[in-house]
Amino acid sequence: MRLACDTGGTFTDLVVENGEEIRLFKASTTPDDPVRGVLNALTLAAEHFGEDRTDFLARADMFIHGTTRAINAILTGNTARTAFLTTEGHPDVLVIREGGRIEPFNFTVPYPEPYVPRRLTFEIPERIEATGNVRTPLDEAAALKVIEKLKTLKVEAVAVCFLWSIVNAEHEKRMGELLAEHLPGVPFTLSHALNPTLREYRRASATAIDASLKPLMFDYLDSLTRRLREAGFAGRTLMVTSGGGIMDAEAVARAPIHSINSGPAMAPIAGRFYTDRDFDHAEAIVADTGGTTYDVSLVRDGRIPWTRETWIGQRFRGHMTGFPSVDVKSIGAGGGSIAWVDDGGLLRVGPQSAGSTPGPVAYGKGGTEPTVTDCSIILGYIDPDFFLGGTMVLDREAARKVLKEKIADRLGLSVEEAAASVLTLATEKMVGAIDEITINQGIDPSNAVLIGGGGAAGLNAVAVGRRLGCAGVLIPEAGSVLSAAGALMSDISSDYAQMHYTTSRRFAYDQVNAVLAELEARCKAFAEGPGAGALKVTTEFSVEARYMHQIWEIEVPMGLSRVKDEADLEALKEAFHATHKMIFEITDPDSDIEFVTWRAKVACKIREGGTGRLPAQEVAAQIDKRPIYFTQTGWTNAQVVRFESMPPNAPVTGPAIIESSFTTVVVDPGTHALRTDGGGLKITF
Amino acid sequence: MSIITKTLEAPATGVRMAIISNRMEGIARKMQNTLFRTARSGVLNTAHDFSCVILTADCQLLATAESLPIHTLIGPDLMCQYVKKYHPALKAGDCYLHNSPYEGDSHAADHCLIVPVVDEQGITRFFVLAKAHQADCGNSQPTTYMGGARDVFEEGALIFSAAKIQSGYEDNQDLIRMCRSRIRVPEQWWGDYLATLGAVRIGERELLALGKEIGWAALEDYAEAWFQYSEDKMVQAISRLPSGKVTVQSGHDPFPGVPNGIPVNVTVEVDAAAGRITVDLTDNIDCQPSGLNLSEGCARTAAMIGIYNGLIDHSVPPNAGSFRRVDIRLRENCVVGIPSHPHSCSVATTNLADRVSTPVQRAIAEIAPGFGMAETGPIMPPAMGVISGKDPRSGESFVNQIFLGVTGGAGTPVTDGFLTIIHCGNAGLCRQDSVEVDELHHPLFVTDRRLLADTEGAGTQRGAPSMRAEFGPIEGCTMKVIYTADGTINPAVGALGGGPGGLSDAFKRELDGSLTRLPGCYGVELKPGETVVSVSAGGGGYGEPMQRKAESVLADVREGWISPERAREVYGLAVSGAAEDDTLAIDAAATATLRAGA
Repeated sequence: MRLACDTGGTFTDLVVENGEEIRLFKASTTPDDPVRGVLNALTLAAEHFGEDRTDFLARADMFIHGTTRAINAILTGNTARTAFLTTEGHPDVLVIREGGRIEPFNFTVPYPEPYVPRRLTFEIPERIEATGNVRTPLDEAAALKVIEKLKTLKVEAVAVCFLWSIVNAEHEKRMGELLAEHLPGVPFTLSHALNPTLREYRRASATAIDASLKPLMFDYLDSLTRRLREAGFAGRTLMVTSGGGIMDAEAVARAPIHSINSGPAMAPIAGRFYTDRDFDHAEAIVADTGGTTYDVSLVRDGRIPWTRETWIGQRFRGHMTGFPSVDVKSIGAGGGSIAWVDDGGLLRVGPQSAGSTPGPVAYGKGGTEPTVTDCSIILGYIDPDFFLGGTMVLDREAARKVLKEKIADRLGLSVEEAAASVLTLATEKMVGAIDEITINQGIDPSNAVLIGGGGAAGLNAVAVGRRLGCAGVLIPEAGSVLSAAGALMSDISSDYAQMHYTTSRRFAYDQVNAVLAELEARCKAFAEGPGAGALKVTTEFSVEARYMHQIWEIEVPMGLSRVKDEADLEALKEAFHATHKMIFEITDPDSDIEFVTWRAKVACKIREGGTGRLPAQEVAAQIDKRPIYFTQTGWTNAQVVRFESMPPNAPVTGPAIIESSFTTVVVDPGTHALRTDGGGLKITF
Repeated sequence: MSIITKTLEAPATGVRMAIISNRMEGIARKMQNTLFRTARSGVLNTAHDFSCVILTADCQLLATAESLPIHTLIGPDLMCQYVKKYHPALKAGDCYLHNSPYEGDSHAADHCLIVPVVDEQGITRFFVLAKAHQADCGNSQPTTYMGGARDVFEEGALIFSAAKIQSGYEDNQDLIRMCRSRIRVPEQWWGDYLATLGAVRIGERELLALGKEIGWAALEDYAEAWFQYSEDKMVQAISRLPSGKVTVQSGHDPFPGVPNGIPVNVTVEVDAAAGRITVDLTDNIDCQPSGLNLSEGCARTAAMIGIYNGLIDHSVPPNAGSFRRVDIRLRENCVVGIPSHPHSCSVATTNLADRVSTPVQRAIAEIAPGFGMAETGPIMPPAMGVISGKDPRSGESFVNQIFLGVTGGAGTPVTDGFLTIIHCGNAGLCRQDSVEVDELHHPLFVTDRRLLADTEGAGTQRGAPSMRAEFGPIEGCTMKVIYTADGTINPAVGALGGGPGGLSDAFKRELDGSLTRLPGCYGVELKPGETVVSVSAGGGGYGEPMQRKAESVLADVREGWISPERAREVYGLAVSGAAEDDTLAIDAAATATLRAGA
């Protein structure tokens, strides 16, 4: 038995996989002590199985966990008091950043504060050149003086990022030794070891973020594993990472930056499995709708694209994690997004959100601004009496009243038309987010399947898919807990990179092959260590490359593990041209190509066939009808179908509503829904 | 059939507009992304010095995404008009290369590619335009900023006037060969041309798809409704200001060809009741034998930047609709007006343009306290110069602009100066170079880069401090650094009692370590072991420094932005404790006394 648990902002989702069967559970998240929420979810599951929690946990051999703990600590400023050690002459790396700004005429947003303040930043006399040559040796006496200052200032963590440590790490390594010896008990992070990437700001930023999370994440993971053990769990505890893989909890405690985007990174893993199963390996757009954010990621050719530029917060206003991660585009659009009319008479949706408190007007918890959820209730999409399986009754009239006053009257629309417009605009914002990420990664949405995940996905997933002209929409049976489901399907994996610059004209075969051999050896060591006992081990090589004098590399899958001769190089060049054409419309076939960073990713598969299925439930077919509203049809009496009771391959034609305890799917007029053999809901147009 | 078609029949224009404007901005963003990711020169792929916009078929600016203000407000419209004038019959597959500063372009270094978006019936529906600052444009010196050029002939740039560089989606090889033979490092130019072409072709493709999806008539209706909305928003923003008229002086430092500098007079009039703002630039001197003359596009745009900055309401879309509420009065053959050939406009986007924008935003502050801004720091110190030479690592020539350290943000009524604003017309949209990237791509070495304490324009909201950067060539390389630094004499002035920002400066460090001060407009040649020291100008402060929140002053002292001495003398804040153990705190009693005496 395996357990996957995703602690989100509102709910702690748990998926229990027992052989070929899965079961879903949701408990409230407990922000003051998140482990309690995890244990509560486990109690719910144990009760369901009619077991004592200790006995239940004793049957589990794996606990896979995703958490927003790290990201929340950063967003709320609750990380460790961290010092930043930098090369002499370059104290303001974290202040100057890489420049850039959004909204040219918006002067209401101040310049971002550096991740580590200047008063905790110290210059260390040393300098390495771009070639790796030592220009100024590390001044150890000066370094020791700085360490004394760190003691006085009572710092709790230290980030070290020296220029060109990615080419020659000797100074950073020595600095690490000095810290270990003279500042014992204070965790530190060395940039070359954490994230050997070019560009000092993003590397320093990654290093500082990682160091600042170490005390906190060590304590959290220590508490989690200890309390799970005390509760009777004797298996292996793994954490999901921003890279869409899973790692042992101890390894994450050593490099906690890997956990900052762990939730959203799992959704495409699940999405890949479901598309392969139900849409025959199509390209997939994976959209995870939460209360406040809409996270979009992709699957192409069975691969999940990565980005080098992950930000915490808004681009240029937040902090760059400096770390490659699954390319997830998040926008402020969800069930809680607030609709408003600006002073020019333009309808807007978000970015403000009513969140879970006070929440939508219809929740009756003090919300006074109309939200997307309110509009869905007004339009009859959500049954006010059957929300979350009837555990919460909603006030539809209150929602109507607020929408009329704040939106409909101001726009000269009926209440229903106003509500439909709000959903259309929310749909449009989601489409915009999808457009951006698909274009960045060179995917044509019209060939892709849209996977709707998250509790609120079904409200407009069909509208989004149709607007994009997608091949179809799929709401997986575990869609409401997509991230947790993804965790069950992920491989134990690790990613290694090494920079070695060479060009197609003067290709350094021997050095490149040495780099590749080294990367392969590290993958092998991982497979024999944390990955031991895997069903299958795959190692994939890729290279980040660009045309001569370009500066932004694109990742090109290599196919081969070595570049032995001219034919191999020719194939690599062709792969580069093709990838460039796919993303940017142009190629420059006569240009030289620069190869910069070589990567290898090892994935150790621990389970065949993705995940188990929800067992069929004996629920009365409940063919019901209720009035719902679409702009195209006006009010129409649509059939309401229970998701759990739908037999495979019996079509339902829209307009219709398909409901389960966890989600509601709106089937638009003229579209067709079908339960697949795998158990998901497939909608085509 | 898409759901959007139905929605368009709904009566609420507010809904329809919101949806289509999201689409339009998205298209402009896609164009930008393509250009940024595929360009070859540092000025484009690192510094992001380019813009992508969409215009209507009658050449009105519609969508800009996040383009550099000085590139885009006025100019793209004028250039499309010239394309139509010289090529009355536009066809699908056409693309025009244009960089004439006498016909709408900002300056000759900004190569524009303009594509008419022509539908299946052969009707021009829109224009897309991508403007990219070139690493080199064939000037007589290896720099795209010829501050000292007497005229366009001495400047030396190749000038293209709506030259058709593609027909039927195929390159006109005549023009390609011209560029290859007259632009330094032609492979770099070619790669940048491809990147820019990719951007406009992606814009064209997306607009054609949009027209097909929702209909050209609906798009035209949208454009007019969007302009009307934007105009209404502008009227509202202006109505928040009191009416008033003020004349403000500013001026560029002396440069070669203009030994007394260039004084600038701007008269700003706000008519709140009528919802109009007028800027009169006609009371200024004639064009000068210098590269500083403004192009018409830059003169109009520079004044408008001051207005849009000063409104402190970014919800006003900057497009042809809101422009209807602005009058910029220019004069022919005026240094800040409409240039007459052959006067050079080589540096038109930056130096003198800022000396128009910044007094406008300061004038608005004088008319309407709580609005406007202090002056933004003037630019182009050596850290933003154009470097050239021969790279000893490859034996190849190089020429490129670097962005190693420029600050300059002005204090505003609501925020401190944005540190990396670069200059007023740029709005901080360009990037700052990574030291590692510059050292990898150019044969240079950066010894030092840091912010300088006590260089901020003091104020209730302070300006950004200066940045110092020191760099030179690596072993085996002789490097030329050409720059055009304004602000070594005339600082960025504060508004409403705010203080001036720190001055710009430049030095050469000789082999013996000594420093020699360099002129503001200069090309310095550096041998291995020699370096240039660049100091960027700080931004002016907004409001009385004594009114600055005590906690903010303390934060500045703790973070080393200002010294305790300056806190006491300029801001009237006394501190206790020490930086060494992080115990600095406000000495409330002493501060009250200091501030009471002010």
